[in-house]
Amino acid sequence: MEATLDSLLLGFSVAFRPDVLLYAFLGCVVGTLVGMLPGIGPLAGISILLPVTFGLDATKAIVMLAGIYYGSQYGGSTTSILMRIPGEAASVMTCIDGYAMAQKGRAGAALCIAAVGSFIAGTFGVIALTVIAPPLGAFALRFGPPEYTALLVVGLVFLAYMSSTSLARTLLMASFGLLLGCIGIDVMTGHFRYAFDIPELGDGIGIVPVAVGLFGLGEILSTPSHSVTTRVAAPRLAELLPNRTEWRQSAMPIARGTVLGFLVGIVPGSAHIISSFLSYALEKRISRHPEQFGQGAVAGVAGPESANNAASTGAFVPMLALGLPTGPVTAVLMAALLIHGVPPGPQLVTEHPQVFWGFIASMYVGNLMLLALNLPLVGLFVNVLRIPYAYLYPLIIMFCIIGVYEVNHSIVDVWIMLAMGVVGYLLRKFDFDPAPLVLGLVIAPTFEMSLRQSLIMSNGAWTIFFERPIAGSLLAVSAGLLVLSLVSFLLKRKDWRDKLAEASSAESQ
Amino acid sequence: MTIPRRGLLHLAAGGAVLAALPRRSLAQSYPSRPITLVVFVPPGGAPDIVARLIGQPLSQRLGQPVVIENRPDGGGNLALQAVARAPADGTTLLLIATPHAVNVTLYEKQNVNVLRDIVPVASIDNDAFTVVVNPTLPVRTIAELIAYAKSNPGKVNMGSSGSGNLSHLAGELFKMMTGTEMVHVPYRGMPAAITALMTGDVHVVFDALPSSVSHVREGKVRAIGVTTGTRVKALPDIPPVAETVPGYVVTGWLGIGVPKGTPADIVSKLSKETNAVLADPEVVTRLANIGSEPFATSPDGFGRFIATETDKWAKVVRFANLKVE
Repeated sequence: MEATLDSLLLGFSVAFRPDVLLYAFLGCVVGTLVGMLPGIGPLAGISILLPVTFGLDATKAIVMLAGIYYGSQYGGSTTSILMRIPGEAASVMTCIDGYAMAQKGRAGAALCIAAVGSFIAGTFGVIALTVIAPPLGAFALRFGPPEYTALLVVGLVFLAYMSSTSLARTLLMASFGLLLGCIGIDVMTGHFRYAFDIPELGDGIGIVPVAVGLFGLGEILSTPSHSVTTRVAAPRLAELLPNRTEWRQSAMPIARGTVLGFLVGIVPGSAHIISSFLSYALEKRISRHPEQFGQGAVAGVAGPESANNAASTGAFVPMLALGLPTGPVTAVLMAALLIHGVPPGPQLVTEHPQVFWGFIASMYVGNLMLLALNLPLVGLFVNVLRIPYAYLYPLIIMFCIIGVYEVNHSIVDVWIMLAMGVVGYLLRKFDFDPAPLVLGLVIAPTFEMSLRQSLIMSNGAWTIFFERPIAGSLLAVSAGLLVLSLVSFLLKRKDWRDKLAEASSAESQ
Repeated sequence: MTIPRRGLLHLAAGGAVLAALPRRSLAQSYPSRPITLVVFVPPGGAPDIVARLIGQPLSQRLGQPVVIENRPDGGGNLALQAVARAPADGTTLLLIATPHAVNVTLYEKQNVNVLRDIVPVASIDNDAFTVVVNPTLPVRTIAELIAYAKSNPGKVNMGSSGSGNLSHLAGELFKMMTGTEMVHVPYRGMPAAITALMTGDVHVVFDALPSSVSHVREGKVRAIGVTTGTRVKALPDIPPVAETVPGYVVTGWLGIGVPKGTPADIVSKLSKETNAVLADPEVVTRLANIGSEPFATSPDGFGRFIATETDKWAKVVRFANLKVE
């Protein structure tokens, strides 16, 4: 422990050097911007700026690039809350309640809670990374294909169990997402599936065009169909900050989201996207007022925002402890270290302590910077809501199209987004929840892959899922959840879903 | 605005040359517009990083920005198609890689083809693969791996970064040349396959040297062979597979190409500048840091190289019955 403190002191002595501070700040600013623009995700942002770091030393390079990564998690919440456009995939859940809060005039509060939640989660993530990285890294290694399959089954069952509308509607949406996720080259055989000779579909349907279309465009399309309140929801300065109740409501979701997000982040894969879904579902489940979710529940912003930030820090654990990237972003960061002649992995700590601890310390500093950067900007960002819809919405559509095109320079992606906008509009009309669709799309490739890998490994025997302890217990959890919902169904016990129905019927009367 | 007299003279002279030798003056003014380098993987993939490594010094030498444009589709055909249809004026470049040579056979019916539609300009690198096994597997040499696979047919799992990828084909070539049977388990990307190798979910992986070398040095996986004809600097103790299986050579390479019909002087200028970049010690160091060695060729030499590779992989694709209709 003392050795850790000594090392951290060394790290801070590096992180507080004015030049390192400057690059951390630059990274955070770029990250915030990247997070706000749909299309340019953290991955593209880091790759584009990679050559810029060639002239720098390894510490400055990694500090700046990592700043882009965690900075983007902050930025992503801004457009979600103000315009219902997920700047990147991990902020899809924030769209729902964040935007609802903005419509009630609590945009400032939502942005503040998102920023503070992100800060707490980021800082906790860094502390956990400092103290328990190596043993956790070893645990992450025990996740093979059967464990992934089981984990994703739990995720799906959990989501269905949590469903706000009905079990059938949620499963329908999730299945639709899973089917969309099957489009593209089959990694097992190399065959094109459902691509209709459109080469752009070979890599599958992107998450960004779907998320932006369903949430952003769908919202805009449906606006003219309900009576638009011309009352602009721009709050006064004093109302920008969350009030006492809102703080109290967000405290526990932030704490839970942080721990959950960090644990999910350690598991390799596109986990940090899933973390925000899981956190949202968890908060809704244990909330005493689940009917408020979707109508601007504070917990629906605080939980997922904390979870995705903690997950992005958690993703560094296997990278730093084992030299294994958990996803494409950490893979680029590893390459950046390698280009500067610093091999990541266990030797990083012993051979390049100033890089490792400087990097860790810069994350503490960077999170503080992001908070300082984002809180004052809240007042500025909220002004966007003062723009009349007639001008704001065409602008938003333009940014959606440009942003989505930029990802792969693909006009097909733009068409997908426009089509998904129409789907999003219809789903809203018929009261379907689009979130499970996005989750299905996100997990489909990994789910299919790990299921088929497991079966190849076991020579087709399904027992492989029960023979391995982690996979077995995860499946037991999902079986338990299903039994629970069956029991409550059989006993006709009033659960939170009935409360929800009562609340909505009371509302309509 | 005053026009400098010398500039005017140049213009006049240029005009005269333009009339006489239009091609030559085109190359002299080339590049007059920003250059796009089309890459077949998303940002952050290993080839993308090499493209950015090369793109930056190349733009300094050419005096025009080199913009990396990612057109991923999972196979490389989309990037090839985009460049094949671009104007043949040297402003659109293709990052050519092994998959393009493989796809000639794999996607026989595809309407674009690297041999037919692209003029090779310069190669960038050409790197060894390593045969790595889980350290608990009782196998220390290639000969032992062959014996082990033969005595446990269908029980050895071979991980790859995806079906039809080079790591898969390298394994299929090995199976073809040694008559062994191994079960192919594709993963999404090499890191996932290497993780599976460490945990023992798969037993052997044919991995590009750069991505495996640090794990080999840490002893988390055991290298038993390199796939070049000779030993490599990064792992001097590991013998080539070809010592046991004569003729077994697999390398992963990258290069630059332009659309068919690009003027020869533009090709030679691009080739000269790319080779100059590859000779830059700073670039060499950066490439070496990610485990890669520069591989400089003439446009013709690179063309012959691609043709040889195409033939080699055609046999493997047919052997493994991978052809995609």
